[in-house]
Amino acid sequence: MSTISDEILSVKDISKAFPGVKALDNVSFSVRRGTVHGLVGENGAGKSTLMKILSGVYPKDSGTIIFDGKKIESTTPIKSMNSGLAIIYQELNLVNSLSVGENVFLGRFSQMGGMRGIHSKARVLLDSIDCRIDTHRLVDELSVSEKQMVEIAKALSFESKLIIMDEPSSSLTCDEMKELAKIIRQLKGQGISIIYISHKLDEIFDFCDIVTIMRDGQIIDTKATAELTRGEMISDMVGRTIENEYPERPQNVGETLMEVKSINTRKLHNISFEVRKGEILGLVGLVGAGRTEIVRAIFGADKARGHEIKLDGKTVIIRKPVQAINAGLGFVSEDRKLQGLVLPFSVEQNISMGNLDKVAKHGVLRRAAEKEIADKYVRALNIKTPTIKTKVQSLSGGNQQKCIIGRWLETGPRVFIMDEPTRGIDVGAKYEIYMLMKEIAEKEGAIILISSELPEVLNMSNRVLTIFEGRITGEFDPQMVSADQVMESALGLCSLEVHERAQEI
Amino acid sequence: MNVKSFGITLGKFASKQKALVAILAMLVMMLFFPTNFYTSYNLIDMLNSSSVLMILAFGVTITVISGGCDLSIGGVMVMSGIIAIKLMEFMNMWIAIVIAVIFGAVIGFINGFLVVHQKTEPFIITLGMGMTLTGLAQHLTDARPVTGSDPNFMMISNGRIILSFTNLVIIMLVVLLITHVIMRYTQFGRSCYAIGGDYDVARYSGINVILIKWGAFVICGITAAIAGVLLSSKLNSGSSIYGETTALVVNCAVVVGGVSFAGGVGGIFQAALGLLVFGVLENSMNMLGVDSYIQILTKGIVIVAIIWLDSFSRKRKRERV
Amino acid sequence: MRKKFELRKTFGSFFTNYLVLVAIVLLVLVTMIVEPKFLSSGNLTNIMRQFGPLSMVALGMTFVIIGGFIDLSVAGTFSLVAVVTVSLIDPIGQVPALIAGLLLGALCGFFNSVLILTAGALTQAEALFITFGMSLVYGAFALITTGGAVLNMRDITSSISVFEGIGQGTVGIFTVSFLIFLVCLILLYFFQSKTVMGRAINLTGGNKTAARLAGIPVDVSIMVIYTLSGLMAALGAVNQFARVTTAAPVMGKGFETNAILAVVVGGTSLKGGKGSVLRTVLGTLLIILMSNCLNLLGVTPYMQNVTKGGILVLAIWLDNRKPL
Repeated sequence: MSTISDEILSVKDISKAFPGVKALDNVSFSVRRGTVHGLVGENGAGKSTLMKILSGVYPKDSGTIIFDGKKIESTTPIKSMNSGLAIIYQELNLVNSLSVGENVFLGRFSQMGGMRGIHSKARVLLDSIDCRIDTHRLVDELSVSEKQMVEIAKALSFESKLIIMDEPSSSLTCDEMKELAKIIRQLKGQGISIIYISHKLDEIFDFCDIVTIMRDGQIIDTKATAELTRGEMISDMVGRTIENEYPERPQNVGETLMEVKSINTRKLHNISFEVRKGEILGLVGLVGAGRTEIVRAIFGADKARGHEIKLDGKTVIIRKPVQAINAGLGFVSEDRKLQGLVLPFSVEQNISMGNLDKVAKHGVLRRAAEKEIADKYVRALNIKTPTIKTKVQSLSGGNQQKCIIGRWLETGPRVFIMDEPTRGIDVGAKYEIYMLMKEIAEKEGAIILISSELPEVLNMSNRVLTIFEGRITGEFDPQMVSADQVMESALGLCSLEVHERAQEI
Repeated sequence: MNVKSFGITLGKFASKQKALVAILAMLVMMLFFPTNFYTSYNLIDMLNSSSVLMILAFGVTITVISGGCDLSIGGVMVMSGIIAIKLMEFMNMWIAIVIAVIFGAVIGFINGFLVVHQKTEPFIITLGMGMTLTGLAQHLTDARPVTGSDPNFMMISNGRIILSFTNLVIIMLVVLLITHVIMRYTQFGRSCYAIGGDYDVARYSGINVILIKWGAFVICGITAAIAGVLLSSKLNSGSSIYGETTALVVNCAVVVGGVSFAGGVGGIFQAALGLLVFGVLENSMNMLGVDSYIQILTKGIVIVAIIWLDSFSRKRKRERV
Repeated sequence: MRKKFELRKTFGSFFTNYLVLVAIVLLVLVTMIVEPKFLSSGNLTNIMRQFGPLSMVALGMTFVIIGGFIDLSVAGTFSLVAVVTVSLIDPIGQVPALIAGLLLGALCGFFNSVLILTAGALTQAEALFITFGMSLVYGAFALITTGGAVLNMRDITSSISVFEGIGQGTVGIFTVSFLIFLVCLILLYFFQSKTVMGRAINLTGGNKTAARLAGIPVDVSIMVIYTLSGLMAALGAVNQFARVTTAAPVMGKGFETNAILAVVVGGTSLKGGKGSVLRTVLGTLLIILMSNCLNLLGVTPYMQNVTKGGILVLAIWLDNRKPL
């Protein structure tokens, strides 16, 4: 048995299941020392779950992990860092109110010799990656790119042998990307292995020696990047449509129902589009691309000024949710537990809360009316609950979602925004919700659908807009294009630029 | 650097150092009135009057920075003072004092248990604790001050070993220095900042968040007890009257100085400045012969204004469009 | 096995829910035995009279807490309304003064809500400190208005008939103040359980974010709860000074903590979202009974504060441990 394997990491048959979904299904792959190993896959493919298991945030259900020649049974984030496996998350793990130096050595203050020690040692680490930031500056003041460098310095401070980078470039400008590229080459030169997770396929081709493609919790393929084409990679990522059945798309799409003009915020740039009667309009993009921000701005949930919204040709003013509802909008938000439901309240109350004016006369609630509405939707949407007085927190995810949908249906929206409506819901309930969506669209309304499940949004939508870094990058008819083309557009144009510039270096 | 950019830099400095600016403004204002404000006697007296509250503030600051809040400090303060004075009657003064301080530590421990271990909302449960202790203090003294029996006791606070500063002021400065060093230069202190700044990140970094946050409460209890003993020494009596609103005022003062309730920011010197704002305010109003009721009014307005500004700045940050 | 666990859970929650109730009922029983004076008509009248002011304040506080906030300024509002109303009797007449006083209370509460909303304060903690500061402000105004003196109604004016009627009058077997209480209770119960705004307040306390997105007027709800709290504090003040015919600028002292206590002991959660004025009535009664019994048993008022503080801590702690 060889003492020094040339694999820094070897993962065999890792499985992990969460209630209702199998996140990882017998995943096996290995990373060779001193390589940059890419990991790609769509939202929900399992990449982040895998990384969280490696870094000790989640325990694995089964399988073996061998890191640096040692078998890892159970680990915690700090143990993992100490053993040389560092991970830099997309949502950076820094304390904004502390300085750069302190963040690099968070929790190791005395070990490193107090304030003086951490700042001088941090200085050395930052210099090693050509970073000029003053270690005394507060992390809060730094740009995303600078924060990333602090994280890299932190990883280096643990003498990491393997650094996992989760979507490192998602918030970087093209120039900052070049900096990162340089650092990655430097790290590689120092013998550090890197797992590089990214949606930006051009970066994968530029930096990575080998790439592993995941889909639906499984490893599809692991190949040297030189032996793979872009088209092949995307095909592997997207795969064929899964066996989930989808109802037929709504048929009679009519003229323009709603026009959105020039939404401009910190994150969004000049968002303008229209929604047609009877259609389901899908918004496709990466997490953080701005889809939720767009709909929240339309709905008045977030502050935005200077944009215009027209319904049926007439301008409407929407500054708060109440105005949006009065104008005929509905919004099933992303996080039903935090933003949609009042968990300790009953099914009845959660449905009626969007319709208090309907169940009241002159400001007085009519219990009979409330009960009637609740009963109506429990029947119509097949909500499985012991009674309408049952607390909504004891219902399953799918049934909770139906309560919210019932609430909104009663308001009779013309434009119904649904943000990840089937997240965390079992297959059977999903189909029921799809049928609902079709019905809603067909009754002269329209739906704006946000979903991270590409098959879902492609199969349900009449039209799809791709969003990338706060901009609309494309408009497609899913029946006329391939999933690959849509995906390409969702990955944006910037990656092409990087690709071109990288060729120049 | 032209006038405009100088103005902007000055503006930025002023908004960050609200307390310092307020103090300077008041100091400047007092130059225009013929009072005894600018006598060494008064200036030392001003420090002396604020010292007990300052010591309270130093302890509370540690708790607030680590993301908690302690409104029981008033109750702890009066109880320890009373315990010290009462026990002194039949035991060695120093032992009595130590027991009083241990009492503070025990209360801090209980607070820590309720907030950190049991995860209750800190501000209202420590408020309840403070009420209980104040009531207990009132009961033990029948709401009348109890005079100290050991003549040496008075000297602890009131003696003047160094120049013409009372011991109280010296002790306050010592506590200031110690807590400052703890917060700035020790692992414990820096961990408090980390925990207050981002609880989860701190936890993932291997910091024992529970132990440290709990410890912050214990330290707060200890400092409150020390403040109580010193107060009793100063007045040579154990009194329960200061229990009630002290906690709320001190917590507000700490925010005035720049220690935000959100946690993770601020420092001991800032807390001292915040307290000093109230100290200077009270002293100058007294010097100017301002009606005592108007003084209460001013205090209330200052508190509301500062908390309002603190919340508003966080609102602006949230809504940055 | 599952049934056993559920049984234990129900018994456990029953226990914590009603721990304080049981304790106080026991206390009352003990007092009845030890000190038969408890059942004397004088004492019972005493209890009824003390009930009035506190119940008003506590009812107002209930809505603030259901909405997920807190109001420490009621003590200041209480005192201010008392002295201002009494001061206005001579100049503008009894009934106008009464109306002015109530409006003043509502205004104080409304102003609190404006401060909280403009600051963008979302937490109970921020509201605590802002209303504490306002308590000092309103209390200071009360002191400034009278120069610290206690206003004796009879010295100021000869026309105090309306107030005498409120404070001492009876209609049949009921005192007028009790009737006022009853009317308030009925109206507020109706408001809480049957009106849209009442439901909106509940939902705001339950989940502010979800409520806002569902179109509930959260900001208006916040204004309503504080204005109502101020108004009820004003009513409580009128009730109080009408009975004793004097208005002291510090007479509100302690009402805020007693009111919070009454709400909490009654079973309304400080976390917000649920609760009822009926529970608060029970809580108020319990608190007053407790004070009364302890007094009769010779316990000092300070020890009573200790008990109250202890109950508050206990109630919050237990409430926190309850699953939603």
